[in-house]
Amino acid sequence: MNKQKDLSQPLGAIVTFLVPALTIYVAFTAYPVVRTIYNSFHEVLPGHPNEFLGLQNYVTLYNDKYFWGSVKNTLTWALTAPFFEQFFAILLALALYARIPGARFFRIVWFTPVLMSFVVVGIIWMWIFNYDWGALNVILRAIGLENLAMSWLGDPSIALPALILVTTWMWTGFNMVVLLAALHSLPSEVLEASELDNCNWPKKLWFVIIPMIRPTILNLIVLSFVGKMKIFDLVWIMTKGGPLWSTETVSTYVYKRAFEWNSFDLGYPCSIASVWFVIVLAGVLLLTFIFRQRDKLEY
Amino acid sequence: MASFSRSWKHVLLIFVLTIYTAYTAGPLFWVALMSLRTTTEIAHNPYALPETLHLWKFSEAWVNSNYSVYFANSVKVVLSAVAIITLVGGMAAHCFARYRFPLRKVLYFTIFSTIIFPPQITIIALFQILVEYGLYNSLVGLMLSYVAFQLPITVYILESFFARIPADLYDAARMDGYSEWQIFWKVSMPVALPALSTTIILNTILLWNEFLYAVVLITDESKRTLPLGIQKFMGDQLEDIGMISTGLMIAIIPVVIIYVFFSERLIQGMTAGAIK
Amino acid sequence: MKTTIRLMKTLLLAVMAMAFTGSPGKAETVLTLWSHWADHESKRSFVEGAARAFESANPGVKIEVTWYEKQALYAALKTALRAGQAPDIFYAEPNQVEYLENKLLYDLSDAISWDKVEGWAKDSWSYKGGVYGLPLEAWTVEMYYNKKALADLGVTLPANKQLGQTEFVDLVKASAAKGLTPIALGVGDRPYPGAFLTHEALIQTLGIEDYDKLLKGQLDWGDDRVRKALEFVKTLVDAQALPSSFSTLKLGESHFYFHTKPGALMFLMGSFYPSRAFNPPDKGGQPEGFELGVMMFPALDGAACPNCKSITVGGSYVVNAASKNAELAAKFLNSFATPEMANEWLDVALVQTGIKADPSKIQGPNAAYFKELSEIDGMCTFYDALPMGVMTGEANEVFTQVVNQAFPAGLLSVDEVIEKMNATRK
Repeated sequence: MNKQKDLSQPLGAIVTFLVPALTIYVAFTAYPVVRTIYNSFHEVLPGHPNEFLGLQNYVTLYNDKYFWGSVKNTLTWALTAPFFEQFFAILLALALYARIPGARFFRIVWFTPVLMSFVVVGIIWMWIFNYDWGALNVILRAIGLENLAMSWLGDPSIALPALILVTTWMWTGFNMVVLLAALHSLPSEVLEASELDNCNWPKKLWFVIIPMIRPTILNLIVLSFVGKMKIFDLVWIMTKGGPLWSTETVSTYVYKRAFEWNSFDLGYPCSIASVWFVIVLAGVLLLTFIFRQRDKLEY
Repeated sequence: MASFSRSWKHVLLIFVLTIYTAYTAGPLFWVALMSLRTTTEIAHNPYALPETLHLWKFSEAWVNSNYSVYFANSVKVVLSAVAIITLVGGMAAHCFARYRFPLRKVLYFTIFSTIIFPPQITIIALFQILVEYGLYNSLVGLMLSYVAFQLPITVYILESFFARIPADLYDAARMDGYSEWQIFWKVSMPVALPALSTTIILNTILLWNEFLYAVVLITDESKRTLPLGIQKFMGDQLEDIGMISTGLMIAIIPVVIIYVFFSERLIQGMTAGAIK
Repeated sequence: MKTTIRLMKTLLLAVMAMAFTGSPGKAETVLTLWSHWADHESKRSFVEGAARAFESANPGVKIEVTWYEKQALYAALKTALRAGQAPDIFYAEPNQVEYLENKLLYDLSDAISWDKVEGWAKDSWSYKGGVYGLPLEAWTVEMYYNKKALADLGVTLPANKQLGQTEFVDLVKASAAKGLTPIALGVGDRPYPGAFLTHEALIQTLGIEDYDKLLKGQLDWGDDRVRKALEFVKTLVDAQALPSSFSTLKLGESHFYFHTKPGALMFLMGSFYPSRAFNPPDKGGQPEGFELGVMMFPALDGAACPNCKSITVGGSYVVNAASKNAELAAKFLNSFATPEMANEWLDVALVQTGIKADPSKIQGPNAAYFKELSEIDGMCTFYDALPMGVMTGEANEVFTQVVNQAFPAGLLSVDEVIEKMNATRK
């Protein structure tokens, strides 16, 4: 693959292309991040000089059961939601690719959930999940399934899946649009739109189409994975981590430790952020590795 | 016989798609209906159709609740941020994808890795920096923070796309005597239109709805952006469902337009099929 | 003679002031104030009014108020404090001990006329010999009820407005059997309403002193009196006293749930209830003709203190210790500490204040309500904090998740609550 790349090294151009991005990056992103890592080894209180603690925050973190609970919830989210999103997104993209009647309309409509902010999505879904008059229970009762009507966000074993449903609802459309673009970029002989009626298409999908758009899928999965590993707003609006910590994510826990636990100490939340940073990075590298590995096997 | 099973299948397909459409668009449709009803009406029946169209709510939000100001601020901040991200991110991505130079991998990896840090934590240091630069409580400061916030992910998406552009295109451009800048501007960027559309859509949506930075980095009422405007109706006094919906519709219409416009470009660019 | 000298002095001062400041209005001192209550119009205009009055009494001073919603305020404020960029004055509540522990607040001991402030309200802002906040808003936990609905159930309250434990449980059961939610409560957006039932019961069974010990982690949650209170709450929960939508019901919605739709018999709520409910119906207020009553929390069997309950100071203003104009800012806060201001607050904000007021002077449509409320509160002994104002860190987090949410939602048994709460005492 790498052979394709230009091996030229026009130094002037490289500098010109990189400097603007690097300047902004160093000034507004790198410094706060470095500061966070530095803080994680200290006790950081306003009006005091920082006190060096060595690894003490990390030892505390190792024994922090709330942290590990939040890790479990976040990983559950990040390891399921991206795949749900891809699965539905690819089916929808194929439907649009096959030019179903009204494809343009559907393309816009299916995309709408992602246009709303997490805050608004959170509010709307709290209404939908409301026990008394929420749409979900109203529909269940209307079709005679009132036994299934429940307090969706009030049950510790249902709340997390309910939130995962919301993120899937929200992001499937976005993934669909990107996948559709990728499908259109394939040479037309690979995928005749009319062939999608053929009974064999699931096989073709799996063995021909998916391998060809794998780079796009990888990008989307990484994007979604990172998004879920950082998820904050939706949980904060809808459950604040409850009931009984069943929806606590790492980000909400960090926020609680930084802003809510009646403490100004920034050191400990920074150490959570730093550890999480390493874990997410490892996850991304692993995902990339797995996908690239298969690339190599096939070529 | 064949056509019978085929049409049967089509009916099933249409049925499934209709249900899915209701599921995705239902909530927004519901909000659209509520944006025309008052909170009292909604409270008595959340799912009714509007009896009278309370269009005054839009002017109420626009004029009395300062939405015109928020809207203008959001437009300024988001449009300039997205333009800068696209250009600066595109340049960096082009550089990472098409040139070899020392520390290339290290730099790329470093930039990419920071997309992971939770903004809830780094915002404290960012705040201090903005104060030092004299950019706290200014739209420029907010805009630059947004650029920095979305830059890594933009570089990541674009780099992987640029790297897949066939080298022949570049060789041909060099033969024609293009400068490095022209190569970037006339080869990489046009060819990468689909990927650019993706990042433009993604960045616009995320920044248009961004809340944490907007609330922490801005204190003047006259500099606040739209997400804070919606927050206004979500106070603890009374959750004004009707006005939240109205505010939401005002916020969402421009994003829909941007999406419709760019997604057309995205599909067209792809269908042109210059690249694999 | 004396007046002449005084006049001359004033003139001289004025000239000096002119000389130093150039023209008035040019080099004015600006006091910044960040406050919650963005959507509480009455409180906003009350504070803005005080600011304008202070400005005209002190030429050259300008007070700039920025209004936030509470969550947004805390995020902005805590970031700004950490960066040393906080405003001169800001909104705080006494449970935010982190401000005090980190010496971020200016000591108001000598700046406020404390004789105009209620003792318990001053106490709640006292810390290590200083006093740090002006207790503008204060509230109690009250059992509101729908008079008509209670009459429909054929129940009349005794003269002291307090039912016994068995009567109360029977009332809850009767109401539930009729399909009327007995007590409207929800924890969709707040960390405290779900715990009202439990902590009001605990104050009664333990009495003020031991309740304080319990909150401070000095008393075992396995104590018999604690268990008794928890079992009382569990009985109510099992009798379906609370709405099925308890977990997602927000504070504002729970008001509407009680007085309008679907309606509930009782509503255990902070006494800030009228600040929402006394608005016109299309602003989320009670429907026309709604008859609101206030009763005492039921007397538990064998309670150590059947007339004990919680009072807490809510929204207060504090002065930033790092402010260059701290003295002036404190002077502004002192302008709130008058009986006239206190009465105006009661009248517009419709919730108690930590500043001494005279509710009997209140006229108008809400007079009857304030009379009923002050009658009830006259019979009570108060514990002047909510659990979240005493507990911090992990204990607070566990209390919120367990006692505020999971226990009243019926997810936990009494033993599990005891075990989880005891685990935080180390």
